[in-house]
Amino acid sequence: MWKKAMRLGLALVAIGFGAVVVSLIRWQLIRGEELSNAALDQSLQSTTLSAMRGTIYDSTGKVLAQSASVWTVVLEPAYIEEYDDPEAVRRTIASGLAPILDMTEEEIYEKSQGNSYFVYLKRRVENDVRDQVNQFLEDNEISSGVRLIEDYKRYYPYGTVASTVLGFTGTDGQGLEGLELQYDSELRGTAGRLIASRNAVGTDMPFEYEQYVEAEDGNDLVLTIDETVQSILEKYLAEGVEQFDVTNGAVAVMMDVNTGAILGLATTPTYDPNDPFTIYDETLQAQIDALSGEEQDAAFNEAQLKQWRNKAVTDTYYPGSVFKMCTYAMGLEEGVVTEQTTYTCTGSIMVDGWNEPIHCWRHSGHGLETFRDGLCNSCNPYTIYIGQLLGGETFAKYREAFGFTESTGIDLPGESLTLYHSVEDLINTPSDLAVESFGQNFSITPIHMITAAAAIANGGYLVTPHVVDRIQDQDGNILETADTSYRRQVVSEETSEAIIDILRQNAESGSANGGYVAGYRICGKTGTSEKVAQHNEDPTKPMEYIASYCGFAPAEDPQYALLVFFDEPHSETTSVGGNSVAGPYFAKMMEEILPYLGVEAQYSEEEYANLDTTAPSLVGMTLEQAYQELEEAGLSYSVVGEESEGTVVTAQVPAVGSPVPKEGKVVLYTTGYDEASTYVEVPDFTGYTVTDANYVANLQGLQISVSGSSSDTATVSSQDIDQGELVQEGSVITLTFVDNSNAETGGNAGG
Amino acid sequence: MATIGRTARGLRRVPRYEPPQAPQPETPPQEEPKKRRRPVRYKLFSLGAGLDMPLLLFILVLLAIGLVMLFSASYAYSYYTEDGNSYSYIWNQGRYAVLGLLAMFVISTFDYHRFHQLALPIFGISVFFLALIPIFRAVGLSQLVPNQGDAYRWLQLGPLNFQPSEIAKFALIVMFAHLISRYSDKMDSFRYGVLPFALLLALVGGLIIIENHLSATLIILMLGAILMFVGGTKLRWFLIGGALLVALLAVMLLTRENYQIGRILGWLDPFNPPEGVDTWQTRQSLYAIGSGGLLGVGLGQSRQKYLWLPEPQNDFIFAIVCEELGFVGALVIIILFAMLIWRGLYVSVHAKDRFGMLLGVGITFLVGIQAVLNICVVTNTIPNTGISLPFFSYGGTALLMLLGEMGVLLNISRSANVEKT
Repeated sequence: MWKKAMRLGLALVAIGFGAVVVSLIRWQLIRGEELSNAALDQSLQSTTLSAMRGTIYDSTGKVLAQSASVWTVVLEPAYIEEYDDPEAVRRTIASGLAPILDMTEEEIYEKSQGNSYFVYLKRRVENDVRDQVNQFLEDNEISSGVRLIEDYKRYYPYGTVASTVLGFTGTDGQGLEGLELQYDSELRGTAGRLIASRNAVGTDMPFEYEQYVEAEDGNDLVLTIDETVQSILEKYLAEGVEQFDVTNGAVAVMMDVNTGAILGLATTPTYDPNDPFTIYDETLQAQIDALSGEEQDAAFNEAQLKQWRNKAVTDTYYPGSVFKMCTYAMGLEEGVVTEQTTYTCTGSIMVDGWNEPIHCWRHSGHGLETFRDGLCNSCNPYTIYIGQLLGGETFAKYREAFGFTESTGIDLPGESLTLYHSVEDLINTPSDLAVESFGQNFSITPIHMITAAAAIANGGYLVTPHVVDRIQDQDGNILETADTSYRRQVVSEETSEAIIDILRQNAESGSANGGYVAGYRICGKTGTSEKVAQHNEDPTKPMEYIASYCGFAPAEDPQYALLVFFDEPHSETTSVGGNSVAGPYFAKMMEEILPYLGVEAQYSEEEYANLDTTAPSLVGMTLEQAYQELEEAGLSYSVVGEESEGTVVTAQVPAVGSPVPKEGKVVLYTTGYDEASTYVEVPDFTGYTVTDANYVANLQGLQISVSGSSSDTATVSSQDIDQGELVQEGSVITLTFVDNSNAETGGNAGG
Repeated sequence: MATIGRTARGLRRVPRYEPPQAPQPETPPQEEPKKRRRPVRYKLFSLGAGLDMPLLLFILVLLAIGLVMLFSASYAYSYYTEDGNSYSYIWNQGRYAVLGLLAMFVISTFDYHRFHQLALPIFGISVFFLALIPIFRAVGLSQLVPNQGDAYRWLQLGPLNFQPSEIAKFALIVMFAHLISRYSDKMDSFRYGVLPFALLLALVGGLIIIENHLSATLIILMLGAILMFVGGTKLRWFLIGGALLVALLAVMLLTRENYQIGRILGWLDPFNPPEGVDTWQTRQSLYAIGSGGLLGVGLGQSRQKYLWLPEPQNDFIFAIVCEELGFVGALVIIILFAMLIWRGLYVSVHAKDRFGMLLGVGITFLVGIQAVLNICVVTNTIPNTGISLPFFSYGGTALLMLLGEMGVLLNISRSANVEKT
């Protein structure tokens, strides 16, 4: 009997507690950590403390992007529920906050329902709104249910400047495009956390458990981009886009050839990163408005992506004749040609693999050419000839060495892959090699091209293009600096020197004279690529072109390379080649940027003669004094109004300090003249030679200042004051001359 | 120190302190007075006197740990429910513990044989209280029968608030022990060994099941069956009874199908319960257990008691024990319960008579079954059902009763044939 009892007891203990211990091992030891985490998850209330995003500076210390405190208004409906009369509190909050937050009462009321502890009411309100909200809460004795959380908002003080480089951030402060995306992990910092224990209903705990992990602010970026350079690039790029009705965007990139540092990178279309979601192209917006439904959404999205993308990195193009500088450098480096090698261009060349002759842009041919002539003429057959001498394998080797088959390593997101023929194709299909040798039928990004050009300019070294110079923490300690070492040497310094000199001549008097800037020995090469693939898709539309100009300066010690690139320019008055479209804008940018960057102008005698002087200060003098002053300055004069002795000059054109052409004149205004009659209409100078332009200007009582090519056959490509505008007699119109007589145009057939 | 002697029947005399006496060589040895059997008398205030010390030790240690853990477990809950007074629950329980200890020692001096006479009255009282519940409900005095959902387990008579089923458990043990010891030679017959017990079980079980108190019903049935089995009822009757019970449960499952099946499914996977089945308590219990890990988060450091685990001071107090003291602490407490059961049974089977043995076995199993089932529920080893943990769970009258029952067990130990130290 007692055995029975003991056995039962043993069974109870063994089975019951045995099962319990197994359960405990299972829940407590095996799944303990998992359950423990789940328990912590539910019982720890963690409030994120935003970290301040790092600042982006340009190379001179100007702030390009900065975060500032804003506030997020949050509702806590569960706490509202705890009021004696939650309904009344909800109504008070809704009616009180609606005007402050610019929301409808109904909207707020609806959000205040439910049992949640966190409902976004309005994100990123400024400090004054926060003060109003606090005041309202205080006035109405609302102690819980509405909360203000500190947050940060991103500001871009220069608006559209460098927007496609900088990118922008999303609603949670995360980088979405550009540098904001590329360097997000650096800029973002580490969010802090306030971890507080809470009970199941979220009310106060009798015993607080709090852990405060301070937010660590993001690191700052210091760019190689100089806001001044960037703005100049953008200004002229926009001008060019307007003048030539460029329909598919444009790019201007300036690079320090020795380090790969990018000083400016302008693209169009552009946008304001302070409000990136608005379409800034008005015509595009109008087209979108005309659509409806899904089509409209799709068009809107496409337009957004288009304005956000950095065309210099994400879009590929046929480099066209600009690429010839590489082919010539390859030829010289390999020794398959020398500077003395001659070739006769007949206007076309037959190449195996293509059943039609491949034409030179000048169908009549260039005749007998030296190596130098070949490049200055941008002669296709000569380039093909070099390509043939090199052979597919060697050409491919250099193509790779110049970095065309790999990523450039630029620190911007979305760099496109390049497209090119395989080595086998180049060896087996001579036409493929021929076409690639002058830059057609293979796709690279503008960044690839300027990096290759920089290698030719700096003695043959391939650099890594980059826009971030250094990353530094909040205290200014440098954490990381850009790698400015060379990736490899592509061609020898001798080859580099030879090509530099040819390109200098090319910009001065060759096919690239549109890029000439007086006082600076510019080296340049034009490119006019046909958008063949696009044309083949729809042959009914006219062939579109990409006009580009790539060069560097100064020739004696190249420092800065610039690539200007217009995608689908149109013009009724001039051909849309690289020299006539991109050249003058290249020149304008260089002319303004080089002095800023400290490259001093050194004029040749001829250039000096053409140089403008500045008008002396004459207002307030008597006419006699003015005459004497002008004579000393070598300027002539004319008088409008009272001319008697002792009359005082009341105004002058050009104004004091403004440029006056050498041996030009200053118009002196005295008294007693009809103001209206002193104005003249500016004529259209386009297409005139210097002589013709001078004649026309004289007729109108105007003066001209010559810029660009000084060759006799150069004609006006643009004028700084538009035709039809009224200016005072004596005003100086700056005319940009381009010599297109030897500038390639489109029309070089390609396979 | 006086040596401890034994009587011929193995009973131990009450040890007394006898001062060492100076030798009296002069005095010739006197005739010893004739030994006379006197009724066993026990001294209340000499604790060790005749009591089984290990048993007493296990009871006191469990009670002490139980009180400490109740304080810890109820600390937060009390703060929220008693207007910021964290000491409300431990104060109540502490008073009853003192009262209970007093009762325990008093009852330990109360000769358990008198329960032969008290068996019927106690049983009658318990049936009376059990019957009051349906009667009060029927006549509309529902304020006297506070309910939890559709369960009516409590009686509220003036200041007295208790579960009649607690009394019924003890009453049944006493009644069965009484009858079995009376019918000890006829237990293998149906008439004496089965029928009266079955009728009593049906009566008490029926009254408890209409309270909607399944767990108490099952405990009563288990206690009854254990006592009958130990008493000598033939095994086949248990098989028949078991079959009947299974059939009954099947009917219940069928009539309340969805509810019970949902409970089973919720038990199998408490973290993904079927729709409409609330496994919050089980989930939170497992979170608490898991949070404890091997060594626990430390006494008083539980997070789960902050309203996550509902009523952490009641049935699920062991989860807080696991969280704060860890696997090691939980194991220590389980071992303490196992030792209590072992010592209770050991004392009982060494009782000087059949009645004492049955009474002791019943009380020991009452505590043991509840402890095992409670911890099984807390660890989700069996589906959730309301069983409190002896010595730990909050409840003044229940603690008072438990300690009273321990008093009976201690009294049995006084006369048991066990070596006392």
